[in-house]
Amino acid sequence: MRVDVNIRVTGGAGQGVHTAGGILSRLAVAMGHHFHATQDYMSRIRGGRNSYAVRIREIPVRAGRAATDILLALDPGHLPHFLSSASPAGFAVCDIAATGPGPADRRVIVAPLKELAVAAGSPILGNMVGTGIVARALGIPPETVDRILAIEFKGDFLEKNRKAARLGAEWASVRVPGTYRLPEASFHPRMILSGNEALALGAVAGGCKFAVGYPMTPASSILLGLSADGPPLGLVFEQAEDEIAALNMAIGASYAGARAMVATSGGGFALMAEALSLAGMLEMPVVVALGMRPGPATGLPTRTGQEDLAFALSAGHGEFPRLVLSPGSVEEAYALAHHAMETAEAYQVPCILLTDQYLGDTVVDVDPGDLPVLPVNRRIVHGNDVPRDPNGRYLRYAVTGNGISPMAVPGEPGITVVVDSDEHTEDGHLTEDHAVRVRMVEKRMRKGEALAMEALPPLLSGPPDGDVLLVGFGSTKGVISEAREILAGGGIAAVAVHLRQVEPFPVRAMSEILDRYRSAFTVENNRAGQLARRIRAETGREVAGTIARFDGLPFTPEEVAGRVKERL
Amino acid sequence: MSGIFDTDVENAWCPGCGNFPILDAVKKALERTGKAKHEIVLVSGIGQAAKLPHHVDVNVFNGLHGRALPAALAIKMANPSLTVLVTSGDGDIYGEGGNHFVHNIRRNPDIAVFVHDNQVYGLTKGQPSPTSDPGWAGSLQRSGVIAGPFPPLAAAIALGCGFVARGLASDVEFTADLMVRAIAHKGFALVDILQPCVTFNKKNTYQWYGKMVYKLPSDHDAADRARAFELSLEWEERIPIGVLYRSSDRPPFEELHPGVGDPPLHARETPPEAVRDILRKRLFTLSG
Repeated sequence: MRVDVNIRVTGGAGQGVHTAGGILSRLAVAMGHHFHATQDYMSRIRGGRNSYAVRIREIPVRAGRAATDILLALDPGHLPHFLSSASPAGFAVCDIAATGPGPADRRVIVAPLKELAVAAGSPILGNMVGTGIVARALGIPPETVDRILAIEFKGDFLEKNRKAARLGAEWASVRVPGTYRLPEASFHPRMILSGNEALALGAVAGGCKFAVGYPMTPASSILLGLSADGPPLGLVFEQAEDEIAALNMAIGASYAGARAMVATSGGGFALMAEALSLAGMLEMPVVVALGMRPGPATGLPTRTGQEDLAFALSAGHGEFPRLVLSPGSVEEAYALAHHAMETAEAYQVPCILLTDQYLGDTVVDVDPGDLPVLPVNRRIVHGNDVPRDPNGRYLRYAVTGNGISPMAVPGEPGITVVVDSDEHTEDGHLTEDHAVRVRMVEKRMRKGEALAMEALPPLLSGPPDGDVLLVGFGSTKGVISEAREILAGGGIAAVAVHLRQVEPFPVRAMSEILDRYRSAFTVENNRAGQLARRIRAETGREVAGTIARFDGLPFTPEEVAGRVKERL
Repeated sequence: MSGIFDTDVENAWCPGCGNFPILDAVKKALERTGKAKHEIVLVSGIGQAAKLPHHVDVNVFNGLHGRALPAALAIKMANPSLTVLVTSGDGDIYGEGGNHFVHNIRRNPDIAVFVHDNQVYGLTKGQPSPTSDPGWAGSLQRSGVIAGPFPPLAAAIALGCGFVARGLASDVEFTADLMVRAIAHKGFALVDILQPCVTFNKKNTYQWYGKMVYKLPSDHDAADRARAFELSLEWEERIPIGVLYRSSDRPPFEELHPGVGDPPLHARETPPEAVRDILRKRLFTLSG
């Protein structure tokens, strides 16, 4: 039986929207189903209009949906805003009494959320009364709800939450329609992770031992993940006084031999640009997680966008190789964070993990087997492996065929490690010799050429040839993939192409793909079509156009499919 | 003079530059610590002062303008057994890097910071620095500096720095002694070194300093914070040199930070079983 239910919990910040959404997500997994949860929140600590959408299917879900089937409005004032996107059979649950007589809309089920919350022990439990009502609408047995709540809450608070959910479910038993009852399926243990949590875990699994940052939405939860999951594996975390300090610290730690990373958003990354260039010059491996949000300047600080592609590719003065990876799913955030740690060290280059608010805050259930434990290959040389010149000195910037010099760290007996942001000789000391300059530029750029040979190719889903290519990078992967399925259902042979590496650009692979199909569109969360420009610059091939969205919200599959159809 | 810490890197300072005696003092101080070359890291930013590490045969991190302290902090955190020293100019540490100066004194890592304070931007050819005297006319403030001077020693004392000293470039022995004591201090140690700029600062010259400075008397109580603060503001009539303030009340940052210590970060492994444990904690099962 096909299941596809989209639940949206809305309310002000502080009303427990996140908690209710999280519980409903876990209930879906407990029922043997899968979910995809997206968060849309405002830049404030209390109040406003936040929403948490949980889409439940019988198969793993990798995109949200615009139409809402069940709306739980903890703040009735949000009804007019969200009712407009209700699906034909959809309904809303809210406590109109809180603000007086509400709209006479037959889709709205007026529930005594506050009254039952007070009966359960506290007026703040309205979210759990609502959760109980929605759980009942989904046909989830009360004992399953009890069990999941016991995982999330403890002690007296658990009892109150259980009572609130039970009162909600009892109240709902004869009052909510059974349209969206979930069939029971067999339960399998899953990992429940957001994109940002997975990225942090991947970095830790990739041997990250030093993490530093200055809080900034939507990257703060990457820092939270690193500071929580890292220390048991020996990671040292520090909050910096500013983003300039953060990246300079990460580079200092890298010099001392630690795999190091920072996490930030566009504004913080702008402050890091000079240090990114320093990492290029000093040839220090370092990873920067860049969680994009709409700009310019402060823009929409809690919403999503992909406006910093061109910036990530060009940030930092001067010429130096870099790796820019763009994970498209929670699983890829984990895998590419590990890959970033490994590759940054192997080539002694800075690596940017380009993600965004949508992917960072998206929570899904994943197969534990999709988060493999991969080896960490350290490249630092010690003892007799440290190469010496005829004078017995270690040359940090020894010129080699592929440009990669053996990296030793300070504290190694018998040698010193000298690095300089000025142009330098092989021993790391500053120089203004033009011939040395040319050799060093060539050495650094050769690493980029070697890096390009190992560029991760784009991932394709769909038929080997067809009418149209839909090309995206980063967080749009799941949406484009489902849009392709919708188009295929309508007889349009579309192919989804996901770029998980945008620098060095996979030129050959992408050129060959583009040549096989009649037309191509990029799908990107920016106005300028930055990916389309990148494709043109790197492959010399034009795409037919760009499906752009830049209102601060993520694409949905129906929207992409519809807009592609209009363009064909 | 030739010593174990000499290098053959070409020197780019002006003849008579105050950096020369400071370099001598640094090398003397390092010899007196008895540390091996590989145990010492000299960190600097950008400017003529920041080139000093290239003339000392130890580990060197010559980073960006103003950013010596963040790099030094992280090196110390990554490997606390290293002796980490910062040598840079007044523009670098107090101007461009002012925020790091403030917050690293708050953190109190075991780093000694030697500031070549010549009250002028030399390498960019004669602009006022954060410590220039008001009224002094540099190349970008032709009618004279309007802003009041940044008081490094007073600021450090106010922020809780446990070792606050002032040296004099021309007195190598005296300054080297301050450096040795700064290195021995467990925590952030500041030595602000009065340094003539023979090319661009015609006011604060060797002669001027010779007239203005006096050594703190041997009965100066360096534990008296209020007295130290008072002394740190003396400038117009006469200028004290020596250790103004000293306190060992605050343990260094590395000792308080739960993750920092042995083994150094470069030697920490990532055992697959430990990664599996972290992942297992995130596993969602019905038993919780």
